[in-house]
Amino acid sequence: MNCEEFELALPDVDDDPTIEQQSHLNSCRACSELVADLDAISQQAKLLGSSDEPSPRVWNFIEIALRQEGLIREQQKLEPFLVPRQPPRRRLEWLIPVAAMVLLMLGIVQYKRVSSPVASRTPDASTSQIADAANIADDQQLLEVVSRRTPTMRASYEANLRDVNSYIRDAEESVKIDPNDEQARRDLMNAYEQRSMVYEMALDRSLP
Amino acid sequence: MTDARKPQGKKLSELELIERAKQGDAEAFESLYNLHKRRVYSLCLRMTANTAAAEDLTQEAFLQLFRKIGTFRGESAFSTWLHRMAVNVVLMQLRKKGLPVVPLDDTVETEEEIPKKELGGPDRNLAGSIDRLQLQRAVDDLPPGYRSIFVLHDVEGYEHNEIAEIVGCSVGNSKSQLHKARLKLRELLKTSRAEKARKP
Repeated sequence: MNCEEFELALPDVDDDPTIEQQSHLNSCRACSELVADLDAISQQAKLLGSSDEPSPRVWNFIEIALRQEGLIREQQKLEPFLVPRQPPRRRLEWLIPVAAMVLLMLGIVQYKRVSSPVASRTPDASTSQIADAANIADDQQLLEVVSRRTPTMRASYEANLRDVNSYIRDAEESVKIDPNDEQARRDLMNAYEQRSMVYEMALDRSLP
Repeated sequence: MTDARKPQGKKLSELELIERAKQGDAEAFESLYNLHKRRVYSLCLRMTANTAAAEDLTQEAFLQLFRKIGTFRGESAFSTWLHRMAVNVVLMQLRKKGLPVVPLDDTVETEEEIPKKELGGPDRNLAGSIDRLQLQRAVDDLPPGYRSIFVLHDVEGYEHNEIAEIVGCSVGNSKSQLHKARLKLRELLKTSRAEKARKP
């Protein structure tokens, strides 16, 4: 067997070369080095298997989607596991429904304002600025709560809020351009719901 | 038995987590995600060589899995199920983008696509000198068709008959593309080593 024949057969040479192939390997330095290199590459490749970690943002988006689709259901009275539960957070618990409700109401008011044909003709800049300022203040307050309770998740919630706020702005723009666009109106409602859900998640759960 | 399936103290087994997830338990979903996120994300990252795309695909793979978790009956390992789903999500995305999942048997390759065998000559032995990062970069530089087969076989441990089924090619084609991918990687690694040696 010569080098050319050996190389042609190489894709089929697994762990057990034939006697003829082995004999060629023993006598040919170039082919034995080639096989050693390819083996080394193959061995080293196994280390790439689970070497990288996704950003926390990935789980946050999955969780939001699971909640929106109703796959995660609330009030599951199951035994605690994996991580011992935090002591009851009675002082903050009342904030959850209130925050969600306030956000949704703000969203609806904003939605009506933006989608109203009159508003679209004469946008009330001062009302819009007040609403934006209120949103920014709310976001800051939420991030402070997250920082206190789960500091590692602050960056992730910050990114989520940034994304959802930008989604809201885009949706508002689309509704302003065409207040009768049903899809744009649905997107806007969806954006407000997502924002409300981010708040709910941040206040409801102790994330790692 | 993997760590995920062993009951450890207060930790639930994977099957218990699956049952809780079926009932809509948020922590069970999160625990299942945490058990498998690295492997799924690494697969997506290796196959796409793009962090943002890998995150999107990881998200999509887990969402598809969680939507179907109610149908999981435990006949096969959960990780196998999840992993196959992740592979399908990635391959579908590559196809959508028009990237080759695997070159066809009769593809005519251009001169530069066929790795040179470089028999003989100095500085030819790589064995023992490849580190993970170098290899990772070289895999990222592989053409997508080679990359898919290499990742599925050498990184993820799929057999050629499984790869043939997953990507829709013959077993012979899978073997041949894997060999070419390894040759190409050898060439890339040698080039990178030579460039490194030239730097002061």
